[in-house]
Amino acid sequence: MSFVSYAMILAGGLGSRLCILSEKRAKPAVPFGGKYRIIDFALSNCVNSGIYDVGILTQYRPLSLRDHIGIGRPWDLDRKRGGVELLQPFQGWAETDWYRGTADAIYQNWIRVEEREAEHLLVLSGDHVYRMDYRPMIEAHLARGADATVGIAQVPKEEARGFGVVDLDGDDWIRGFFEKPASPPSGNISMGVYVFRTAALHAMLREDSERDTAHDFGRNILPAMVSSGRVLGFRYDGYWQDIGTLDSYYRANLDLLKPDPPFPLEDSRWPIFTPSTEFPPARLGARAEVRASILTHGTIVNGTVERSILFPGAVVEEGATVRDSIVMGETWVGPEAQIHHSILDKRVHVGPRARVGYGSDLTPNRSCPEHLSSGITIVGKETRIPESMTIGRNCRVSANLIEEDFPEGSIPSGGVMERELNVAH
Amino acid sequence: MTAIPPVLVLVLAGGRSDALRALGRIRTASALPYGGKYRVIDFTLSNCVHSGLNRIGILTQYAPLSLHGHIGIGRAWDLDRRDGGIRLLQPYVRQRETNWYRGTADALLQNRNVIEDAQARHILVLSGDLVYKMDYAELIRFHEEHDAALTLVTVIAPSDEPERYGYVHADRTGRVSALEEKPKRSGGGAVSGAIYAFRAKELLDRLRRPGAGPDLVTDVIQPMIAEKARVFAYPHRGYWRDIGTVDSYYESNMDLVRSSPPLNLYDPDWLIYTPSEDRSPAVFGGQAVASQSLVSHGARVEGTVRRSVLFPGVHIGPGAVVEDSIVMHDTRVGPGASLRRAIVDKRVVIGSGAMVGHQGPVAEDVLVTAADARTPAPGLCVIGKGSVIPASTRIGPDALIEIGVSERDFPGREVAAGAVVRPSGRVAAARGATRGPV
Repeated sequence: MSFVSYAMILAGGLGSRLCILSEKRAKPAVPFGGKYRIIDFALSNCVNSGIYDVGILTQYRPLSLRDHIGIGRPWDLDRKRGGVELLQPFQGWAETDWYRGTADAIYQNWIRVEEREAEHLLVLSGDHVYRMDYRPMIEAHLARGADATVGIAQVPKEEARGFGVVDLDGDDWIRGFFEKPASPPSGNISMGVYVFRTAALHAMLREDSERDTAHDFGRNILPAMVSSGRVLGFRYDGYWQDIGTLDSYYRANLDLLKPDPPFPLEDSRWPIFTPSTEFPPARLGARAEVRASILTHGTIVNGTVERSILFPGAVVEEGATVRDSIVMGETWVGPEAQIHHSILDKRVHVGPRARVGYGSDLTPNRSCPEHLSSGITIVGKETRIPESMTIGRNCRVSANLIEEDFPEGSIPSGGVMERELNVAH
Repeated sequence: MTAIPPVLVLVLAGGRSDALRALGRIRTASALPYGGKYRVIDFTLSNCVHSGLNRIGILTQYAPLSLHGHIGIGRAWDLDRRDGGIRLLQPYVRQRETNWYRGTADALLQNRNVIEDAQARHILVLSGDLVYKMDYAELIRFHEEHDAALTLVTVIAPSDEPERYGYVHADRTGRVSALEEKPKRSGGGAVSGAIYAFRAKELLDRLRRPGAGPDLVTDVIQPMIAEKARVFAYPHRGYWRDIGTVDSYYESNMDLVRSSPPLNLYDPDWLIYTPSEDRSPAVFGGQAVASQSLVSHGARVEGTVRRSVLFPGVHIGPGAVVEDSIVMHDTRVGPGASLRRAIVDKRVVIGSGAMVGHQGPVAEDVLVTAADARTPAPGLCVIGKGSVIPASTRIGPDALIEIGVSERDFPGREVAAGAVVRPSGRVAAARGATRGPV
């Protein structure tokens, strides 16, 4: 077979820059856009591109992802031939261990690639938001006889620093690959979408496994392949968003609310699949006001919602206001509470008259100023915010806190709320 | 948990309801879209699975495609099972005598082999066109405790249209002495909820009697009561609605958008299941005004929505106003258009500036067809599936736009109150061939 029929998705990421959103789940399992998880985009792209055989490499906190994927039903991946398989590290073979890096993860599961006898292999990241038909890229890869083909997106040069940056020649062959360079040579960045000639990749992985490297696609495999083989760049000009940081996560979500969104969620030609909830439609009460927002099934709005995204089962009570915020599943915003510029994780309980993301003081977060300085306040899963509590901007409130954990009155901007750790025996 | 004795559920879902006008012509009432994302039969099926009953036969006959497509293999209800699950029971050709289902009892009789093979002790006979939540396990327990040949569920008669119901007379122990069909009187009282638990043997014996008529109520149940069989009434005190007419269908949907809805769809212990669609969440534009409504996935609201139910994929354009209306899947309401007290079926296009159901001066119109006044639907406009309403058209209250009407079928900009617009140059749908109150 010369066409590509098997895809491996790298979904093991720790995603530490997503702060407490990824504290309890792998980055690809972070909720997005009202009803999705980030991995839905890569998975839906696969099936919409006709690829129905997918392995997902997981390592960090896979439970949430595992529950989400299940047997792959929403993507029609519950199949007799192919389907979806979660590839978790395992013991028992001499050469298997925890995955040392993305490349090592694939190398340890190489048996899966061999079994398929595929000449080419698609490797994807599970933490990007985009719609892409992989077929034209695969065609270019085959037509040009490349060892590897890398999907290339364009960003402003100064923003390229956080990515794998490539140097393309006039025929789009890649002449240099630089992972997170201090001074990027261009704004052409790797999308984390690769097609490999299986034999070329195998040789490279074997070589890499014996060396003391980070065993990482971006840092080790691609640069090495560029220096020794034929690596093609495939330019993609559609919407593509990396969800690497809290800011980019927040921005990508709020992008959906623009009058003419750069990435409309609704597109019947290229649907994004996800397991659905059994909730009834969104219910708006007599005093509801909803503008420039996204509501999912099971949300109940009796207050005001503006420029915000409400996930399934989120409730905004009467007199409450939610602005410029992301409110995840089954979170309850009590009467007359005010939520501004905040991300509330699942099943958060905001007491009546509490204020979250309050004020204009933008003091960066005390414990992680590098990730929380743009004014976003984030509240972890299942935390209960007491009645009339005020929480400022750039605050980080951990998961699973109860009312008694909070101080009297308020948490100023930049504050951190964590329960004092009691060591359990 | 008490073990539930083996029960076979048979759902009557093949009936044709002329009183649903254009909504009911293309689908049986059980398949009517309801409450923003459901079909009416979802209530019965979800009740079954929540009650632990998973051997279900669905008897279909009239316009079943929509229902069959909806049910599929029963996955949405976890009824794609190795044991039990869902079976669709349609009339079929036999070697000797072949017939359409001639009535509810006849439909059951024609499926007597299904009842026999099930070897169930009780047969629960349900109607697919009712909206209610009920634990059938309790009903079966009551039925067993009373050693009843038949337990029929009673509900409090909805105040309107008393002639649509059968009044149940029972003594203090619940023993039924009479079932009075469609009496010429008004007022409250316990009426039959069309939910029956039969002792299987009793039901089979009655169905098989030579010369037994085709109707379950008049030919089986009333004779049982007359012959002093053990027939008991089991009162259901919760919400219960028969949505077999345009008005009752409308009112029941509107019940859901009231401040405190009499039917709670959000109870996590008794969710109503339905196959889901892969649509994105609902999007509200910057100028949207929306209150007291249900809004489903795939909907896009740029205008104003009040006291309405929007199904998946409905688009409400900028400046458009939708009030007191039901708008089904993928209908587009153009910029500046208005809908008031209207039921709009799937994939309708309402041209920009059109005013549907608007109370205003409407000229006399040639389109009035007196023959269609047989089922008056006061005040409510009904627009059939796939119709196109030209821009700036004014349609008076109580008008009926038939299925598949195109722009050129409108001779003018005004459609009078109570008028009917039909697709021209098209043969009317065949009628009467499949009549049967199943």
